[in-house]
Amino acid sequence: MTALVRCEGLAVAYPGRPPALTGVSFAAPAGVRVAVLGPNGGGKTTLFRALLGELPAAAGTLDVARCAVVPQTERSRLDFPVSALDVAVMGALSRLPWWRRPGRAERAKAAEALERVGLGDRIDHTFGDLSGGQRQRVLVARALVQDAPVLLLDEPFSGLDTASTDRLERLLADLAAEGRTLLIATHDVDQARTWDLVLCVNRHQIAYGPPAETLTLPVLEETYGASLLALPGSDGQVVCPPHHHDHGDHDHDHAH
Amino acid sequence: MIDDLALPFVQRGLLEVGVLAIGAGLIGTWIVLRGLSFFAHAVGTAAFPGLVLADGLGFAAALGAFGTALLVAGIVAWLARRERDREDALTALVLVAALAVGIVLASDVFRSGANVDQLLFGSLLTIDTGDVVLAAVASAIVLVASFVLGPRWLATGFERDLSEADGRSTARTDAALLVLVALVAVASLAAVGALLATAILIVPAATTRLVVSRMRTWQLMTVGLVLVEGMAGMLLAVETNAPPGATIAVLSGGVFAVFAVGWGLRNAAPGGLAFRRKKLALGARSSGAGEL
Repeated sequence: MTALVRCEGLAVAYPGRPPALTGVSFAAPAGVRVAVLGPNGGGKTTLFRALLGELPAAAGTLDVARCAVVPQTERSRLDFPVSALDVAVMGALSRLPWWRRPGRAERAKAAEALERVGLGDRIDHTFGDLSGGQRQRVLVARALVQDAPVLLLDEPFSGLDTASTDRLERLLADLAAEGRTLLIATHDVDQARTWDLVLCVNRHQIAYGPPAETLTLPVLEETYGASLLALPGSDGQVVCPPHHHDHGDHDHDHAH
Repeated sequence: MIDDLALPFVQRGLLEVGVLAIGAGLIGTWIVLRGLSFFAHAVGTAAFPGLVLADGLGFAAALGAFGTALLVAGIVAWLARRERDREDALTALVLVAALAVGIVLASDVFRSGANVDQLLFGSLLTIDTGDVVLAAVASAIVLVASFVLGPRWLATGFERDLSEADGRSTARTDAALLVLVALVAVASLAAVGALLATAILIVPAATTRLVVSRMRTWQLMTVGLVLVEGMAGMLLAVETNAPPGATIAVLSGGVFAVFAVGWGLRNAAPGGLAFRRKKLALGARSSGAGEL
């Protein structure tokens, strides 16, 4: 199977700085969901920016099909005077020359994409009035309008309730089943366990492979440093990002 | 009032306001949407030393104004890229510097005298054909640019990440927006002057922003409001013998205050709150249904 994303010894650096991410080697075939796990500042966003072509490879090679990014809805502007359709149409801009504004064809395509993510009845709603889960799906629709075989999702589940999370999970499974490759930045190890592949990064690549092989205690400890907590009575691990620590209440497993 | 309308200089003033309203209203919505208000004010003020230079050295006023406005726009944009967090402070610094240079040139170099007032606050009573043509050209350019580039300006403002990722032309379309802000600021100098350009560029757009939820409605309403405020201010100034630029500024400030207070009352009133709560509950229910 041909890989839609292939990195070999990739290092990425911001201009004038030492590499923020090194030693990334993985290949993601079509039709898979890849969880990208790592602490804040561990290089998830840096990797996405490299895949999008915004940051050049400082070392190694990068071979990637066209990517579309789905940003966090929490970072979008809720006070903007735009409808769900307006936002989805924005996805068409990158493929139009600068002097062309989106026309009827682009709007039809955006409406179709909204239909696809289950928001066909919300086309005319103001974006900021939608629920968090609906806004996230509008942003997925915007990425679909770009017709990219690779979708990069930046913590799409953060801030969503259970019902919205389930709904988005099903949508992402469908999109992968249609042959797209999804790279999903997340903090949720249990969620990552249900996907096809896991990429662990913390300033360099720590592991890549099926969840059963990668989501082990040593790998997770190396990924998240010492901020890992094994709960008794659960077979999984709970990851506590450092800023969520409450030092009075827990027994820490200080591995380092 | 009817007698006033028969006066040629009143007619020219009204024509100027009418033509300018299109460009000022349209660019105003982009200024407010993209958070460029302070930048626009700085660029408008920056035109002042250019006007003094043109007046003193005897070349076209618009050329001098546009020259220094563009220079300052370039400096602010360049500084803002390097020092993102201190953009406002740097804009203020450049604004004050431009104003100071203008005053020094006017008072000590060219001894412009009474002209300074007109340069700073404009005069709709002394509009000539050249002013109207400049306003018409600026409005036409803004209308076309807004139609063609508007979707990109909107997308860039909506979510910077997207545009950086998708459009390599973001920097260029944004630069075009800054140049157009400078152009309209210069075109409105004759009417409201360097210091009061805000009255037609920003205040009306900020006023209508309170009540709209779509870009097109916002733009139409803003153009209409600039037109109404400009014409009403002009006629009021002629009736009361007050300076037109300042009258328009006071009027648009007053209308904004009324809108803002009304909007605040609607949201704060018990009925308003109940309405909002109901809407929220409905929204929650319908979105809940959507999720299932």
